[in-house]
Amino acid sequence: MNIAYPEIVVAATAFVVLVGDMFMTERARVALAPLSALGLALGIAVTALFTPASGELLGGRFAMDPVAWWFKIAFMVAALVSVVLSMDTLDGRARVRARGMGFRGEYYMVLLSSVVGMMLLVSARDLATLFVSLEVATLPLFVLAAWRRDDPKSGEAGLKYVILGALASAFIGYGFSILYGLARSTDLDIIAHSVSGEYTPAFLLAVALVLAGTGFKLTVVPFHMWAADVYQGAPTPVTAYLSVASKAAGLAFAFQVLFRLFGNWLPQWGMLIAVFAALTMTLGNVVAIVQHNVKRFMAYSAISQAGYFLLGFLGSANEGVPAMLFYLVVYVVSNLAAFACIVWFANETGKEQIEDYRGLSLTNPLVALAMMVALFSLAGIPPLSGFVGKFFLFNIASKAGYHWLVALAAVNSTISLYYYLRVVRQMYIEPVDAEASTPGVSRNVGVTLALLSLAIVVLGIVPTFYERIHASTVAWLLSLSAG
Amino acid sequence: MGLVSWLIALPFLTMVAVVLVPERHWRSIRWISAAGTGAGLALTAYVVYRYWVEAAGDVELLRGATLTKLYLVERVAWFEPLGIQYFVGIDGISASMVVLTSIIIFCGVLASWNVETRTKEFFALLLLLVTGVFGVFLSYDLFLFFMFYELAVLPMYLLIGIWGTGPKEYAAMKLTLMLLVGSAFVLVGFLALYHESGLHTFDLQQLASVSYSGRFQWWFFPMIFVGFGVIGALFPFHTWSPDGHSSAPTAVSMLHAGVLMKLGGYGALRIAVYVLPEGAKAWALFFMGLTTINILYGSFGAIMQRDLKYFTAYSSVSHCGFVLFGVAALNLMGFKGAVLQMFSHGIMTGLFFGLIGIVYGRTHTRVIPEMGGLAKVMPWLATSFYIAGLASLGLPGLSGFVAETHVFLGGFFGNPWSNTIATRTLTIIATLSIVVTAVYVLRGLAMVFQGPIRDPHFEELRDATLTEKLSTGLLVATLLFVGMAPWLMIDLIEPSLYPFINRLQGTVTAGLTGEM
Repeated sequence: MNIAYPEIVVAATAFVVLVGDMFMTERARVALAPLSALGLALGIAVTALFTPASGELLGGRFAMDPVAWWFKIAFMVAALVSVVLSMDTLDGRARVRARGMGFRGEYYMVLLSSVVGMMLLVSARDLATLFVSLEVATLPLFVLAAWRRDDPKSGEAGLKYVILGALASAFIGYGFSILYGLARSTDLDIIAHSVSGEYTPAFLLAVALVLAGTGFKLTVVPFHMWAADVYQGAPTPVTAYLSVASKAAGLAFAFQVLFRLFGNWLPQWGMLIAVFAALTMTLGNVVAIVQHNVKRFMAYSAISQAGYFLLGFLGSANEGVPAMLFYLVVYVVSNLAAFACIVWFANETGKEQIEDYRGLSLTNPLVALAMMVALFSLAGIPPLSGFVGKFFLFNIASKAGYHWLVALAAVNSTISLYYYLRVVRQMYIEPVDAEASTPGVSRNVGVTLALLSLAIVVLGIVPTFYERIHASTVAWLLSLSAG
Repeated sequence: MGLVSWLIALPFLTMVAVVLVPERHWRSIRWISAAGTGAGLALTAYVVYRYWVEAAGDVELLRGATLTKLYLVERVAWFEPLGIQYFVGIDGISASMVVLTSIIIFCGVLASWNVETRTKEFFALLLLLVTGVFGVFLSYDLFLFFMFYELAVLPMYLLIGIWGTGPKEYAAMKLTLMLLVGSAFVLVGFLALYHESGLHTFDLQQLASVSYSGRFQWWFFPMIFVGFGVIGALFPFHTWSPDGHSSAPTAVSMLHAGVLMKLGGYGALRIAVYVLPEGAKAWALFFMGLTTINILYGSFGAIMQRDLKYFTAYSSVSHCGFVLFGVAALNLMGFKGAVLQMFSHGIMTGLFFGLIGIVYGRTHTRVIPEMGGLAKVMPWLATSFYIAGLASLGLPGLSGFVAETHVFLGGFFGNPWSNTIATRTLTIIATLSIVVTAVYVLRGLAMVFQGPIRDPHFEELRDATLTEKLSTGLLVATLLFVGMAPWLMIDLIEPSLYPFINRLQGTVTAGLTGEM
């Protein structure tokens, strides 16, 4: 039972937030955000201290392993930071109020349920559990995207997301049903072993359907279409959460599908993955260049990052998984740091065009510095952790012999630097308007930014963290071969 | 922490000190930077002395070695699952480059004495850049090397973008992107070496002890060489250089032309030629041809310029061509010439850009025909300018002569793997640039400093201030010192180059290891 503690803690927090909200006065609801944050912090603490790194429940349908452990930590950290970033907007402390950002209790409850879904997702060892937990993770995201009911853009974002998301889920469900038909079991391990053989048409169809759905969740080109509109339309704090959480969930799902379900086939699909990775990073980067809206810009940046993640699937699990997990943590930290600045800026000025950031380095040097550090980390500039993370992923591709892909990925990093530098240029180089004011930074934003920036630097320099992830992966692989 | 680490850490710690000083004390920021880089100069002198003492007995040993020997080595495991280490040390080539960097940054700080807008950020970025440069010259783990390499390139964007002049955003972006595309190819090469060697390490010495297949070397030598060539202004990838240099503020031009462009020549020699000797043999003639174009194109380009900074930038392209030309000659003379040229050009071009900055600060123009007769009002600056110019056209007695002679002799001797007639022809064509250089240098200097004073305002201009005298004087003294006593530099560099030659001549066998 104790391996499910993290999920139980987070789910209980969601319940407490929902029920508490019913009995609270409007003034008292300010406590909801700290309560949710506390629940997530407790979840992280319980995971880190009391949850064994392996074990199973429900006849093996729900299992914990060292890799799932890291995913869960990453999900909860992402959610925790997102809750902190949402606070100012939802509690009405923003200088420029976003209309329609009410219903705090429901908001945090929905956000927490999606976290529970993601956590279940990495522990699922059964087709049905996997599918249901995927839905639990993504349905709340549709709701969050459409949170500003009176803003047509938000509504459009939600609608687009739900329709395309449902389509992707349908693909996955159809694929799963064929797999069940082939293997006559819903257990992932049994399917993995019983269908390994030749490519039958039914199996190929199942693979194509499942991979297309996975590509949608991870925003792999050509299944990325939804991302830009949804990111731009969703309320800014939600975009922050979406950009890391949906990507992390997508990666977790891809990990489950590619390593656990199709692990035996994966070595044969190297070229396919390489081509998708190349398309994804190139298209994301090239389109990001021409964006003016900062959220849309971050959406394309996130798409190109998905391409880098795919490099992790080119190698064997003992190298690919730690590189991928490490980059996931780095990505979560860096992207949330960038979004912390974006959310703060939107709250203070109500603006979200890149040109609006003009002169930020003079009006608020520390936020500008944090934003620059975050963007440089995303671009992969040493000594920040983004560089180390990308280096490890490139290393996988190089080992697998895809030198052309490494060259393309490295050139893509340079292209990405071009558009990240566009923001830096606005903040640092462009002359500032005379009447520009100096907006202050609230304590929670300040502390979040400081901690995230510190993490961005430390993860890249102190090797302990990567070595831990590597050791966990080795432990996971050993447990696989033992079982 | 050992001596070599302190060399890298000192500019970084100075940067931290600069960051901690409040903005309103911006005057003291200059003093802190000057003190930090001055201390760096002293430390460099001590490290080189220690190297000199320790390496003195090893000349014969190195004559037969196939791996270069490192001194003052420090090695700590870092990201262990991937075999990445913190591995720093020093040999003769590194030592000469470190001396160059220390001198240029000290003079660069002095030359930035009048930076009064956003002073703190300026010095912090300058020191960060120098940390990266020291790191590149001293690290022998490819991961560490690459990390420092990018660290050295990126601050340039903000330094040019914020404090530059003219079309600075364009120049800054062009420079950053071109250099990073170059580094992307270097990265591909590094990763390929790592996997091809099968050693699971980024240790340069160990990677060099493997003999790679001819096919692998044929593919990856040009990749790494060109990747470094971009920052070394290899034709046709040099186009960032004139724009970047002419838009950059004085100290940044000094550092960039003086030191950063040397990272290219250094990387090409230290990694491409050292690790992949077979590839070097196969491609030597091709790159020799390309660098001949470099040399001529740069010098003809300089003739056409009216702006002093563009003039110097094109002359830098030509002179950096000599570096890569010497490397492509693939013999001891050529390699020595390449390293000497890196040093000599670094000092010379640092002096040039420093002086241009000073003159521009007074005349507010960089257009050559608008100036004239400046020698009458600023004799110190004019004299320094002449010495730099004469070094650049290779006058005996100055460092440029020593370096260029070595490079041309190296090219003329050729090597057993390239057609001798071809290398000799290319060398003869390349030597034509000396004439062209003499034309543009003498004509340019005459127009700026001789003749009547064109503009009545120029009558009131002052000669160099104390800090300016200190920085230009130090650089002039170095040029003279190396020109008059070249054997000191050659003794420093030469033994470390023996293994490079041995590797080219024989198959690679296990030789010296890093710590020996």
